[in-house]
Amino acid sequence: MLSFRRIVRIAFSGVRYRLFRATITVAVIAIAMAFLMNILGESLIKKSVAEAARSRIEELHRTDTWIARLSVPRTPEEIIFDQAGRAPVAKTCLDFFSRLDYGRRRILSGSAESVQIFDLLQDAEKQESFFAALANMKAIRFPVGREEFVSFLASWPELKQQIRGVREKEQAAINRIEQARGERSILEALTRADGEFGQAIRDAGFELDDREAETLAAQARDIMDSQLIEDTINHTELRQAVAARKDLLPGDITVNIIWKMLRDADSSEWYLEQMAAAGLEVSGLDAGRVRHLAERRARARLLVKAELRTADTGGGLMGIGQRMTWLALVSMLVCVVGIANAMLMSVTERFREIATLKCLGALNTFIMTVFLIESSILGLAGGIAGTLIGLVICVVRMFFVFQSLLAHAFPWGSLGLGALISITAGILLAAVAAVYPSLRAARLAPMEAMRIE
Amino acid sequence: MKEEQTVQTSAGERRIIIRTIGMKKFYNRKGQITQALRGVDIAIFDAEFITVMGPSGSGKSTFFNLIGALDSPTHGRVFIDEVDVAQLTAEELAFLRCRKIGYIFQSYNLIPYMTALENVTTPMAFGGVQTDEARKRGMDLLELVGLKERWFHRPIEMSGGQQQRVAIARALANNPTVLLCDEPTANLDHHTGDEILAILQRLNKERGVTIICATHDHRMMNVCDRLLWIRDGAIERIARRDEVKVELGGID
Ligand SMILES: Nc1ncnc2c1ncn2[C@@H]1O[C@H](COP(=O)(O)OP(=O)(O)OP(=O)(O)O)[C@@H](O)[C@H]1O
Ligand SMILES: [Mg+2]
Repeated sequence: MLSFRRIVRIAFSGVRYRLFRATITVAVIAIAMAFLMNILGESLIKKSVAEAARSRIEELHRTDTWIARLSVPRTPEEIIFDQAGRAPVAKTCLDFFSRLDYGRRRILSGSAESVQIFDLLQDAEKQESFFAALANMKAIRFPVGREEFVSFLASWPELKQQIRGVREKEQAAINRIEQARGERSILEALTRADGEFGQAIRDAGFELDDREAETLAAQARDIMDSQLIEDTINHTELRQAVAARKDLLPGDITVNIIWKMLRDADSSEWYLEQMAAAGLEVSGLDAGRVRHLAERRARARLLVKAELRTADTGGGLMGIGQRMTWLALVSMLVCVVGIANAMLMSVTERFREIATLKCLGALNTFIMTVFLIESSILGLAGGIAGTLIGLVICVVRMFFVFQSLLAHAFPWGSLGLGALISITAGILLAAVAAVYPSLRAARLAPMEAMRIE
Repeated sequence: MKEEQTVQTSAGERRIIIRTIGMKKFYNRKGQITQALRGVDIAIFDAEFITVMGPSGSGKSTFFNLIGALDSPTHGRVFIDEVDVAQLTAEELAFLRCRKIGYIFQSYNLIPYMTALENVTTPMAFGGVQTDEARKRGMDLLELVGLKERWFHRPIEMSGGQQQRVAIARALANNPTVLLCDEPTANLDHHTGDEILAILQRLNKERGVTIICATHDHRMMNVCDRLLWIRDGAIERIARRDEVKVELGGID
């Protein structure tokens, strides 16, 4: 009937004609969308940073992992988890028990924990009472069928035997490692992971390729040297020297202050001299290396911080977390009410115009479309403005928290998608909010045009 | 052909454009019933100029709403061009309002954010006229009411009389058969009112548009064919102008 362009033009004229009201409505939408975009953006950035941090932290802890592996055999649980494919039921059950709260676990399995539960349930009577107790817990669903679990329990002694075999083998290997390292600590021995100790590790039956050996050795050296520097905090003379240089009280000097100072080239050189003067063994160190260690520590701290700050990601809608999802929904609801109110006022104010248009032959659908489009225009404007504001705020804030880590893990794609979602949400909210007001407008009787105040 | 018809105003054999049968309208506001119209029967002929008079609250506007298909009667029927308005769907009603009837309001009711030309072309757009064609016809209509030079003005930039003339041009947009005017001169001064009346009279004479005009304005008597008095929701009297003139002359 009427070209879309003309409808949009009439809707747009409506916006322009009531610019002040429109601006307020746009501001309401913008605030809600800024809020949405802000929490959406933060959760997306946190997610991305968390992923980046996780792999780096794993890298950072490689030495620790090896130290653990080379000093004690894995626990039965660890073996089950590492080889979940071999005993899927065992893994599922252990997962289940580990998530239970204390009271329920107590009822189900007494004082037994993890694999001990399997031992406990070998007894038929105990099994019976276990299932009875389970049936009473309405809110809890056992992840494995009863028959399956019973047959698994029957096979448990055999599996346990296998696990014991694995552990014995590991213990034997560990004994050989112990011989190889002699008087050295494992960490010290690992500094030679790219040499004779690496060979010993391989000989003992562990898998260690050349690249892994190199990074392991380098990391072990870093850790040892870092330890050396950190120990200087206990050296009174050095502490006094640092305090004098930094213009602080010796008692206020912390490891952090020393590390921060060492990131600077002059200071690291100076500190090495001080260490040598204090009679410490610094033959393996030079200023560049000290600075490298300081940088490494700064990175590690940032990673730990990132891990802490991203610990809450992943829950609820799009990783926002349940609480934030609620807040976002409430803010959107408030926004919808606000828009609806503004649109209703617009309809009330323009009754004569609407009625006149109907006298001129406008269909109800036309009137509705005009108001829906008018609201959508406001939604688009508010959505874009709010999304930009929210995005800027969240990126700036996140940049202060994660610094260089964010630069490497900036989630361009998902943030773009988030912005698109937020703008679309703005338009949709505005359109939804305008449904009732536009219906009211469409139902207005044309004879209202005759009314005279 | 149409001009012939207007010449023989009093001829009996003429096409009826609007007919009402037992038309009543009651308003129910919070249980209180107002009988705005209490049974109106009238036939209005094509190309006739009718003036509707009556005291305030007598039901003139209600009468207009009903014969203009803006509202439906509580009882009785309204035929516009021999079509029962009650039988029409929403789309057909919109079509009727768009093509058959032009409305002129006391308060002009121009769309405030549109220029004079846009106001005039809006009903054409509803009627499906192409943009270029609408523009051309809109300019012609503005010329007809003497506002061609002001086509780009918005209502706020025009005087009341100019606005009313734009409103007349707009009412004529789709060549309606009937022009309904509810107190078109009530908000205008004497001189401007005369101008508007002159335009209406010219439309009636030259284009054969049926004009129905509610008014308190006694000058209207000079231009109309028939006069209709409404009092308390009922027709008090219908008379041809020459009859009334005689009476008035007698009084003078
Ligand atoms: N929407 C409505 N609801 C209730 N009552 C109404 C409504 N519209 C009109 N009325 C009543 O119907 C009666 C006729 O009103 P109407 O507007 O037709 O009078 P009018 O002749 O046009 O008066 P005026 O010359 O002042 O314009 C009045 O008593 C009025 O109060
Ligand atoms: Mg009236």
